[in-house]
Amino acid sequence: MTQADELRRLAADLRAEARPDLTFMEVCGTHTMSIARYGLRELLPEGMRLVSGPGCPVCVTAMADLDRVVALARLPEVTLATFGDLIRVPASRTTLAAARAAGADVRVVYSARDAVQIAADEPDRQVVFAGIGFETTAPTIAASLLEARARGLANFSVLSMHKTMPLPLKALLELGETPISGFLLPGHVSVITGTACYEFLARDYGVAGVVAGFEPHDVLRALLRLVRQTRPAIEIEYGRAVRPEGNVVAQRLMEQVFAPGDADWRGLGVIPGSGLALRPEYADADAAERFPVDLEPPLEPAGCRCGEVLRGVTDPADCALFGARCTPEDPVGACMVSSEGACAARYRYRGIDD
Amino acid sequence: MTEGERILLSHGSGGRLYRDLVKDVFVTAFANPVLERLDDAAALTPQGRIAFTTDSHVVQPLTFPGGDIGRLSVAGTVNDLATAAARPLALAAAFIIAEGFPLADLRELCASAAATAREAGVPIVTGDTKVVERGAADGLFITTTGVGEIVVAHELGSAAVRDGDAVILSGSIGDHAVAIVAARGEFKFSADVRSDCAPLWCLVEAAVDAVRAAGGSASPDGAEALRFLRDPTRGGLTTVLAELAEESGLGIEVEEEAIPVSPAVRSVCDLLGYDPLTLANEGKMVLVVAPEAADAVVAAIQKTQYGREARRIGFVTAAHPGRVALRTPFGTRRVLDMPVGELLPRIC
Amino acid sequence: MCLALPMRITAVEGPLATIASPGLEQRASLMLVPEAQVGDYVLVHAGFAISVLDEAEANETLELLREIGAFAADDGVEADDAG
Repeated sequence: MTQADELRRLAADLRAEARPDLTFMEVCGTHTMSIARYGLRELLPEGMRLVSGPGCPVCVTAMADLDRVVALARLPEVTLATFGDLIRVPASRTTLAAARAAGADVRVVYSARDAVQIAADEPDRQVVFAGIGFETTAPTIAASLLEARARGLANFSVLSMHKTMPLPLKALLELGETPISGFLLPGHVSVITGTACYEFLARDYGVAGVVAGFEPHDVLRALLRLVRQTRPAIEIEYGRAVRPEGNVVAQRLMEQVFAPGDADWRGLGVIPGSGLALRPEYADADAAERFPVDLEPPLEPAGCRCGEVLRGVTDPADCALFGARCTPEDPVGACMVSSEGACAARYRYRGIDD
Repeated sequence: MTEGERILLSHGSGGRLYRDLVKDVFVTAFANPVLERLDDAAALTPQGRIAFTTDSHVVQPLTFPGGDIGRLSVAGTVNDLATAAARPLALAAAFIIAEGFPLADLRELCASAAATAREAGVPIVTGDTKVVERGAADGLFITTTGVGEIVVAHELGSAAVRDGDAVILSGSIGDHAVAIVAARGEFKFSADVRSDCAPLWCLVEAAVDAVRAAGGSASPDGAEALRFLRDPTRGGLTTVLAELAEESGLGIEVEEEAIPVSPAVRSVCDLLGYDPLTLANEGKMVLVVAPEAADAVVAAIQKTQYGREARRIGFVTAAHPGRVALRTPFGTRRVLDMPVGELLPRIC
Repeated sequence: MCLALPMRITAVEGPLATIASPGLEQRASLMLVPEAQVGDYVLVHAGFAISVLDEAEANETLELLREIGAFAADDGVEADDAG
């Protein structure tokens, strides 16, 4: 059976078995992209809604944090190393791309280890790594920080804007703005965390969750599992990569370097304990401490509804700016400029009949 | 002039040093009777309508797997002429060189440009050289301008395209862009990819001949079934298709499965999050032809050196005017938009 | 951002591994999966292996992924050995 056949079969099963009016939420930018790219919504049963939640680490980064990244990039001694995703995101008044064009030393890296190598190769530069990402990425930053220390590189520091996944899910359910029947849980975050951290969803809120992979058949299989559950439970569809206990080595590395702190989530506000802050013993590698900067108050762009989109309350197409004032070419909010943002995914991968 | 020497500011000043450089490096490499006259302008005798184009080349790095700026500058202009169905007649090459650039490197790049020009059957008949301060021009910029003789009587272009026409792609996409990314070494990987940089006049000529041979055409020279030609450079295949849909006011539908992507390009794209459809190519052509001539054109192109993987990838449609639809392997369809932002600067 | 690709370990040198995908070779850190060995398939994210893939389940995915690649390969793309 080809991929296409299997997918059609799964879609048929879903249509046959799903109750009407189920709403599922995915909370991973890579799921957002995958679903849009393969046109999976076309295959869902009538009445089943798949909404995007706060799963794009770039989109949920608060404006004040973005402003800090830009401010650091502008310091003459700083080489700002970042994942490519951050380059075009609108901060209050500018972007990293614009700062770079004006002379800031901004370098795109694929891995935090590459940033460490820059620090080794260029000892007269202060390399600051812009740390965004959830539990998938945080251990790689922790490992890189330890590597820098082991190599005696005093010119490497991290601006941690890392966040963790389970608490925003709790915040969303507490807000109760959208009835959520179940979550498509993030595939790669769960590789690290395992599934114990999601048990509260089923236990305390009666909401199911299935950890899903990213291929189209993964998503449909996960939805089928959600539909077939007789009582809410947390399951793993992505068994080839995810174990219930997660990656214990990665968890320990994270705990060694980071401690839970408050994090400001675009759309959700400050969620205590949902951020990862560098522990005091690593304060010397904390870029926020090493380079204190004065920031002007952050500016949210007028009319931007990214916050509501991130909570799954507003569909991208319902934002007045969507497709008109706010496009991937000329984005207003982070949800449009990030390649994993719900708005970008909806716009770039819109169905031909939309 | 000896090896180990470097370009000096005085090489650009127009005096003896300049003259020696021109003779020793450029005339030696490009060797042809017109250039050897060293006139300020080359005299040509074109037949019929001519096509005229220019391109600047600022690629970094200057040399990469599968090519270099020399080959690129010639192939790029030959290919632009080819999109007008024009046989290349003559090229001009203007060099902007940074002070300190090694002469040995300049000779090699000129040799490469010369070899590509010979392959394409076109002489480089005139040129210019300027030298700028060290650090400017990142070593070397080349601007090539080309003149070609148009071999068809009808007007090619988006206005010629019709509902039902076949969309043909001459081969795999993404190779040039990925070769450049690998050569830059910012993302440390080694990939089994070479730039596809190549002059494509022969491929286009084969298509024109095939269309004529297929017959049944209304136009006097029998080539009217060939509607549109464009090479997917910066912005990739997506940009060519999106622009065509917009300009023609028609819709286009392509099959994702039909678009050839090499396994290495696919791996790199998966790794770095790139979409192969938006990546630059320097040796590929998109052709739109009347449906009855499509098979003959594909077969003819497949016999040419750079067109072995040519195939039909889609069709023009009256549905969804102005938009491009991609049919996924799962039967679902989505819109293809022009890519946004500078993913890969200095790609060509 | 959570892009992670299944790749095969072809060599190990201390904490670093050489990993391969069809036509592509790279180095990645094994700091997060110290138990990984040559021949294992690992999920690679941002220069780090984050999980050793269960072989049986991984083969299923690779087969499905190959099917997509295989459509292109069948039509004459210069197919590396896609293994």
